Amino acid sequence: MISLSTRHWSFLGLFVVVVVAMLSGFRPDIPVTSETRKLFDYIDSLPSGSVLVVSFDHEASALPEIRPLAQAVVRHAFRKGHRLIGLALMAEGTVIGYRLMEQTAREFDRTYGRDYVYLGFKPQNIATMLSMGESFSQTFPQDYFGAPYDQLDLMKGVNDYRQVAAVISITDGNMPTYWIEYAGARFGVRICSAMTAVMMTQFDPYVSSGQLYSLIGGLRGAAEYERLLAVGGGGARGMLAQSASHIYIIVLVIIGNVLYFRTGRKGRGTV
Amino acid sequence: MTTGTLVAAVLTVAVLTFLYRDNPIYKMAEYLLVGVSVGYVLVITWTNSVMDLLLEPLSDGGHFYLLAPFALGLLMFARFHPRTSHLSRIPLAVLIGSGAGVAIPAMLGPRVMKQVSESVAPLFAAGGSVDISGLVVLVGLVCTLAYFYFSRVRGGVLGVAAKSGTFFLMIFFGATFGYTVMSRMSTLIGRMEFLLGDVLHLVR
Repeated sequence: MISLSTRHWSFLGLFVVVVVAMLSGFRPDIPVTSETRKLFDYIDSLPSGSVLVVSFDHEASALPEIRPLAQAVVRHAFRKGHRLIGLALMAEGTVIGYRLMEQTAREFDRTYGRDYVYLGFKPQNIATMLSMGESFSQTFPQDYFGAPYDQLDLMKGVNDYRQVAAVISITDGNMPTYWIEYAGARFGVRICSAMTAVMMTQFDPYVSSGQLYSLIGGLRGAAEYERLLAVGGGGARGMLAQSASHIYIIVLVIIGNVLYFRTGRKGRGTV
Repeated sequence: MTTGTLVAAVLTVAVLTFLYRDNPIYKMAEYLLVGVSVGYVLVITWTNSVMDLLLEPLSDGGHFYLLAPFALGLLMFARFHPRTSHLSRIPLAVLIGSGAGVAIPAMLGPRVMKQVSESVAPLFAAGGSVDISGLVVLVGLVCTLAYFYFSRVRGGVLGVAAKSGTFFLMIFFGATFGYTVMSRMSTLIGRMEFLLGDVLHLVR
């Protein structure tokens, strides 16, 4: 017979809350924050055919949270007819980034080489960022599949950051710091980021100072972006489960505190 | 259902079994994840670093100057033997020296100067009204710095400021923790969406 402790019941309760919330199909009305709207408006305002660099600076473990964010941004860019240069500065993000770009490009009937290009992974992120400011072709002489730079239509007009409207770092770490310092500050390219929620507070000062143009984060950021795009997606679907699970945790915290104070000195310190 | 989806579903459930307690099924999934990740990163790094940046330029392009960083790289392995370990200091010195040379000037502006200048922005807006957010930043900054000032005994104004600084720190930690909880929940929700959507087709 399996014996369940309080911890197990708590997890089981969370499981039930998340499953019920997801199966309910209800979509909460999520207000859009100014940071999310800023990125959306910027991509929206660019003339069709503008070049954006999307850097997949994350690992596979962050995928559940990162994927809805990345998909929303890439979808928006393709929908507006922009051209995307994908790359990865963390090895694990390489194939994940390519698959996402390729799947989204198929949705919008975009052609590889003309509408989007994937340059793949390059080690030494700082050297890569600095080198791209000098020359894209020298930094990435070939794309992800080994095709020479000059055979890619999109890349023919792209020499350095001056031909790029923005760099969007999709990340679960502190890679935007390096983009800000080595690409933004030095070469003046606009840096935007989509990141996991846990990293958000670290980058708020950079948004306030204007060094990071805009920042969207977590499932909420994805849900906000999907709302602006007026499409469904992982973000919108997950937000009810997110809210329900938060309420569940708050209720558990309240119950835990009530039990703690009711047990008095005798029971304190034990679980 | 594709084989890939089935494997991912089994591994997701295997990882979730850890919620009951540590067990061999979880360990198998964990080791598989670590093994696959390391293998993948190793292949990518070998292809994009050693092959693309060293071996191919050496063999095809005749870029023999690359032998210098290659030799420095090899010296790193000198650490594994006590008699040669001192040689590893040479590449480390080059790495740290060049890294600092690149990083310090680049960091000084964006990370220090810009952030400081934004922290001491004018408290009064163009119309003469007080910028509330600027005031909060100023008070928060001074009080938080006071908390980390350990060279004097805390008392009087310094004590009050240091105490207030802890509240600002608590707010920061609270916000960070809140985002962390949100992040972890998102990971769970992402996996549940996979199980309920891609595997069981209950949500779309």
